[in-house]
Amino acid sequence: MSEYARMKFYCDDERCIECNGCSVACAEAHELPVGINRRKVVTLNEGIFGKETSISIACMHCTDAPCEQVCPVDCFYIREDGIVLHDKDTCIGCGYCLYACPFGAPQFPKDGAFGTRGVMDKCTMCAGGPEETNSEKERELYGQNRIAEGKVPMCAAMCSTKALIVGDEQEVSKIYRERVASRGKGVQSAPYGWSTAYKN
Amino acid sequence: MKKLIIYLLGASFVGAGELIGGKVPLATPDSGASRGENPLASSQMLQNILQYKDGYGEQFLHFQTEWFKPLFMYIGIGVLVVFLLHYLIIGPKRFSHERRQFYIFSLFMRVIHWIAAIGFVLIVPTGFMMVFGDALGGGTLVRNARYLHSIGTVLFAISLVPMFLAWFIPMLPTLDDIKWLFIAGGYLSKKKREIPAGKFNAGQKMWFWLAMLGGLVMIATGALMYFQTVDVNQLLQYIGITAEKDQIEYLRLSAIVHNFLGMVIAALFITHLYMSIFAIKGALDSMISGKKSEDELKHLHSSYYRKLIKKENKSSL
Repeated sequence: MSEYARMKFYCDDERCIECNGCSVACAEAHELPVGINRRKVVTLNEGIFGKETSISIACMHCTDAPCEQVCPVDCFYIREDGIVLHDKDTCIGCGYCLYACPFGAPQFPKDGAFGTRGVMDKCTMCAGGPEETNSEKERELYGQNRIAEGKVPMCAAMCSTKALIVGDEQEVSKIYRERVASRGKGVQSAPYGWSTAYKN
Repeated sequence: MKKLIIYLLGASFVGAGELIGGKVPLATPDSGASRGENPLASSQMLQNILQYKDGYGEQFLHFQTEWFKPLFMYIGIGVLVVFLLHYLIIGPKRFSHERRQFYIFSLFMRVIHWIAAIGFVLIVPTGFMMVFGDALGGGTLVRNARYLHSIGTVLFAISLVPMFLAWFIPMLPTLDDIKWLFIAGGYLSKKKREIPAGKFNAGQKMWFWLAMLGGLVMIATGALMYFQTVDVNQLLQYIGITAEKDQIEYLRLSAIVHNFLGMVIAALFITHLYMSIFAIKGALDSMISGKKSEDELKHLHSSYYRKLIKKENKSSL
């Protein structure tokens, strides 16, 4: 195992109130084009009393990320802390990463005069891209680089119920265990989606 | 104006009253798709995470990482090597173009054929460019190849229906085709002899049916991948099919089918090019002038030649 931190997202469906704050904060912070939501809040059993649950999903920054494996132009790279990023100058917008992604994270903004599909855009865990850190070009293409400034990614930073948590897997797991223990129910070996994203 | 304001105020009060009275309007059961939104962003996304391994996702991942690229490479190189060897060992067929010329292809058919041809010349190389995009470094070059791939598709799609209708009957299989297949069209021997074939031989027929039916599938799967968010379940409903797969599953299946079928079509396209440009000298001219020489017709399309002569004799009597 790497001696570096392994960054992971965790969304607590017991706490998520479907306020969509994470999605809005993300879009606002990174100045995303209209129609692009790097983070989406999905609700299950909507309107059914006692059964309604919401969960916020975005790129999970998988180990052995399938998107990285299928990309025909190899535009992805995985940082030492596990954050999966891609190079928009290399990307051709073919959509294969979307097909390979279990979480539906990659999205394709309309680009150009004829509304052709542009290059892929996805959650960067607020870690920018391959351009020079905090440069104008990086901000333009990938949004803020909050990780480089030592800040928490925007979505988790503003989550009002602290349903959405991001950080080193050890820390996230600890919080998850404490919450499950205090609730006394919903015991799972791993948080939702983790078994798909992180096959350790 | 006053009336309007009063009316609006009243309406908002009524709305508020309903809420206060406990009549909370329940949200309709979620499905992003039915609201005309992006069908990729629905509550189905969560189920998809758990069903990833059972669906096409895992299969696409497997095929794209292990199969597609090597298969395209083997097919591309394999076909070229086979034809190079064929050209060197058996060599091209030459026919006299001095005797009579028969007018075979009407102007309309030639125009249709060349529209499809330009389409294919755009589609096939750009397809290969995308498959081997990492070797080309990606970026603008491969991105433009992707755009050209779609433009070529439009040209091919225009030619598809007229070509199918015009050549449908002569392309139907006949007994000649079985004989043709047994001798591999006579391409394995240097001897010049009469090959059993009608207006089109079995090889041309295979190419026709693959390009037409396979082409239709390629257009459908390609268009879905191009438009991405066009709701397939809704489209299927229009033609009376109720399907429940999620949009992403259709996209994954499309990518798998498009790649496998693409290999076969690319292989036969290269074959078609080789036959018309190199293997049979002067074959290309018949698609430009519309005329085939008597010598070529007599040998390569013997049944058709006999039919033409018979018809001629009848009319001259």
